[in-house]
Amino acid sequence: MKMKHLLVALAFMAAPLSHAQTVETADVDSLGTVEEEFLTDDSNFTFTESQLGENDDMTSDVIHINSSTNVYTSQISWTWSGIWFKYRALDNAYNDIYMNGVQVNNPENGRFTYSTIGGMNDAVRNKDDVSPFEGNNFSFSGLGGSSNYNFRASQMPSGHKVTLSGANRNYTLRGMYSYGSGLSKDGWAFFGTIGYRWANMQTASIKGTFYNSLAYFMAVQKVINEKHSLNLATWGSPTERATAGASTDEANWLANDYLYNPYWGYQGGKKRASRVVNNFEPSVLLTWDYNIKDNMKLTTSAFLKFAKYKSTKLNYSGTNPHPDYWKRFPSYNYDVWGREGDYNYDNAAFWAAYDNWQDESYRQINFDELYFANTQLNKIGADAIYWIEARHNNHLMTNLASTYEWNIRPGAKWSVGVQMLSNRGSHYRTIDDLLGGQYFHNTNTYLVGDYQETSTEAMYDVNHGYQKLIEGDRYGYDYDLWNQDVKLWTSFTMDRDIMHSFITGKIGGRRMWREGFMRNGLFQDNSYGKSGIAHFLDGGLKLGSTVNLGKGHAVTAGLGYELRAPGASVAFMCPEMNNDYAQNLENEKVLSAELGYAINNKWFRLNLNGYYYRINDGNEWQQYYNDDINSFSYNSLTGVKREYYGVELGLKFKITSSLDILALGTYSEAKYIADTQVNWMSSTTGKINEEICHNKGMRQSGTPLAAASLGVNYRIKRWFLNVTGNYYDRIYLSYSTNMRYENNLKNAGRYHAGEYDVPAQAKGNGGFMLDASIGRQFFVFHHPLSVNLQLCNLTHRRNITTGGYEQSRSNYSVTETENAGTEVTTKPRTYNFEKNAKRFYAQGFNFLLNVNYRF
Amino acid sequence: MKKQSFIIALLAGAFALASCQDGNWDIPEGIPYGNNDLQAGTAVTIAELQSTYASVISSDSYKQITDDLWLRCVVNGNDYGDNLYKQVSVQDETGGIIIGINGSDQGAFMPVGQKLLISLKNLYIGGYGNMAQIGGLYNGSLGRMELPEWKQHVRLIMDNTSEAAAFGSMKVDTLDFDPNKTMAQQSGRVVRLSGVTISREGTPVIAPDDGSVSLVSNCVNRTLSGGNAGSKCVLRTSTYAVFKGITVPTEAVELYGIATIYRGTWQILARTQSDLAWTK
Repeated sequence: MKMKHLLVALAFMAAPLSHAQTVETADVDSLGTVEEEFLTDDSNFTFTESQLGENDDMTSDVIHINSSTNVYTSQISWTWSGIWFKYRALDNAYNDIYMNGVQVNNPENGRFTYSTIGGMNDAVRNKDDVSPFEGNNFSFSGLGGSSNYNFRASQMPSGHKVTLSGANRNYTLRGMYSYGSGLSKDGWAFFGTIGYRWANMQTASIKGTFYNSLAYFMAVQKVINEKHSLNLATWGSPTERATAGASTDEANWLANDYLYNPYWGYQGGKKRASRVVNNFEPSVLLTWDYNIKDNMKLTTSAFLKFAKYKSTKLNYSGTNPHPDYWKRFPSYNYDVWGREGDYNYDNAAFWAAYDNWQDESYRQINFDELYFANTQLNKIGADAIYWIEARHNNHLMTNLASTYEWNIRPGAKWSVGVQMLSNRGSHYRTIDDLLGGQYFHNTNTYLVGDYQETSTEAMYDVNHGYQKLIEGDRYGYDYDLWNQDVKLWTSFTMDRDIMHSFITGKIGGRRMWREGFMRNGLFQDNSYGKSGIAHFLDGGLKLGSTVNLGKGHAVTAGLGYELRAPGASVAFMCPEMNNDYAQNLENEKVLSAELGYAINNKWFRLNLNGYYYRINDGNEWQQYYNDDINSFSYNSLTGVKREYYGVELGLKFKITSSLDILALGTYSEAKYIADTQVNWMSSTTGKINEEICHNKGMRQSGTPLAAASLGVNYRIKRWFLNVTGNYYDRIYLSYSTNMRYENNLKNAGRYHAGEYDVPAQAKGNGGFMLDASIGRQFFVFHHPLSVNLQLCNLTHRRNITTGGYEQSRSNYSVTETENAGTEVTTKPRTYNFEKNAKRFYAQGFNFLLNVNYRF
Repeated sequence: MKKQSFIIALLAGAFALASCQDGNWDIPEGIPYGNNDLQAGTAVTIAELQSTYASVISSDSYKQITDDLWLRCVVNGNDYGDNLYKQVSVQDETGGIIIGINGSDQGAFMPVGQKLLISLKNLYIGGYGNMAQIGGLYNGSLGRMELPEWKQHVRLIMDNTSEAAAFGSMKVDTLDFDPNKTMAQQSGRVVRLSGVTISREGTPVIAPDDGSVSLVSNCVNRTLSGGNAGSKCVLRTSTYAVFKGITVPTEAVELYGIATIYRGTWQILARTQSDLAWTK
């Protein structure tokens, strides 16, 4: 935390604090404002704190799209937040986020983590959201839309605002304060906000978690004259939080808890979390607005971010100490699925395991035992076998962006911009806590046996030899990934007769490389120092049009094609071990098309859209423990082909001036349309193997592919009421590639007469969820006081799946390996991994009480 | 200016209050392994135990111990090197015996030299290949006892405690291997073999798992000859042992291990690489 304090202090020193006489702006107060506030006040809460980027077991984040031109896109982020709905089933990497015109997605994986702007709700409300086929003046819009946050102090809300909240969610209490000066007569504007969110182990909604997050945002702007203005903004959200893990249904049933969390345990009678994330990304953004002429504008922004991310995890070189290890379950001892074959039916062991699971100390981590084992080993001078590791993913990102806008004439606008980015991602692992142990050696224990413990081959870092490692030392891997991007884009929008059209294009270059700081024992000539530099050239073109048919009717159409360079996170075969690039890397090719119909009149607003996306030559990368080879495997999937298509409906019907109905619906498909070429590498042999993954037909996970809502809003005399029923279906879990490798299908006996019997993808439960909200605005000392109570999942449905994944282990164990691993003999396992996917479930009834006062 | 200062002060105050929740943790006190409530009753030695159940052991049968007998012993071998699989070897001043426990990495809790007080009542004793073993029943024959059961029957005695005094000078010691000794005299003890030659068939590492030698329960038996090995003695090593990849020397060497016997053949189980003395 000391480092956090220092960084925050430095961040604030960067912001001039001078301020002069202000011009107060009266708050606009209307019933419409009340509704809007109640509906949007915590939209950022929902995404930045409950779901987005705050679960390490989920592979991707959702997209927060909020384009107001479409009823559907303007409502889904908020309405379907409880189920972690992903817009068009897309990964967050397809959603481009800008701040004052500068793109801030992490170029390594393309994603933006909303939690980095959590807790500063009043600062992040002012933004432009555009859907994928919407012309705009800041970007070549992403497949999942784009957002441009406006962080100019003069355009922030003026006055004071205090917000206090109580909830039974990730956190229990929240307090926020913000102040905006508005623009003073002498051209200065200031805005600042701070927030704090808190829950401890006793109050957090999921057992064994806590939440401890501070947030700050400050911006100061000087309007120098009519032409020039400078704005400096700085923000950050130092957060410490314990994460929860997904579990099998068997574990949840044994623990009698849909939210069973295996990541915590008792130490000396106190609850302790094993997976704690510390994240702080102090950012500074300097913006120069230059109004060249009345119809010409140049916006230039420089962005600097130093992100520190640390995530801990219990690790071991002895017996797996995790309470949800598969061999600890009753079904490890007894085939509860009744399959034909040679399976165990050990009734006594089954019930013994069942009895054990009734004891909380058995189904949570026993830290006392881990400490004891290590201290016993200290007596014989042996290495610790249990420890808490910390994985660090830090980033130093700089980005310079400039955008020129020219309103050529009414109805014709041209924008052109450039983005220049450099990002250094530093990735390393440290020993966070030796749990009573003294040290362990600089040795990859998975290699011991094949190589002697002291051999150079088994060393994580040959440069440091067979040394003892202690708490704080880096071990395992230590490398930087560099990305440098340049992107030019342009956009032209034009109104002509009944048509509003746009065309936008981009062209960019990316170069990347790896720099290793350890000489890995298996790759002594290819792990330390810099790799070769990879270059990619990408670009795209997108056009669209809206045809106004009259009387509020319109049709829209859009078509796009783009090349997307792979990020460094998928570009290397095994960045933890060596400098090799993944084989067959190519630009991802994306074809996108959309057709829509809209009606917009005084009482009725409807949007009906259909879309089709085709992605070819996609690149994916996975890492997991593969117990067929008793090693970690690093898997590069290239030439991935996926398709996304569906229909979306948004309808808002105004029955009376105070009553309206909102209906939303989507039915979509998002799946792999061909089997995929895989290259995978074993961490113990270093050899690359070729495979075919039979993933054709696998669907995007962690989101409903079908969802529908019907809501009623009622406003009267400063009261606001909302009741919404939501239905979700077709929720798939993240599929296991390993389970569908051609050789593994053969080993599992799933190859007959030239046909592969590919396991069906695991699914989650959908279902109905009822939410309600009630709010009232009062006036206290002539200033508005708003009270809002959100009640979610009123019917307390706890068996709705929000995500999860299939386990990567096999339903067989390899008993013999012959001919250098090309032939294996297998034995079926009693425990059925195909039936034991790990799932996250929605929280039951939950609430948020929010009170804010503006003065 | 006052308002900005107020925000800064508020922020500083919030930082001061926002202390870490995952702070420093102290090492827990106590022994969270075994049954700390056990109090010794009638003591029995390993030799007495093997004598009492000699007929059961020699016939590869088993019997449940019904008397309230207590064994004081010290661990002389465990699974730390991944060669003894789900077994702990213990000795006292009269002999040694193998205990089967259905749990991995028990060596981390019971390192070599750890003193144990074991309540034998209700445990099973019998023979496996004519060698004595304590364990539990598995599918109607003598096997490993479940870990929770073991933890109910054992108490770890730490040095410099009042309970340790009852162990006297008991410690792990090494015997020179003698092929002519009986099971009771030598099994479950650490033995030294010197001037022995290790057979080198197949891939010449201690325990190849590449199919070049036949495996018996995932173990490689390499014949020992010369020195004090006698005529029926093998070095038995699991293909999961951390030292399985050690090259088999061509010359005669010295080695150590736990002596076990299976139907008349002595099987020496090295515990860690340091038992293969030529690798030091």
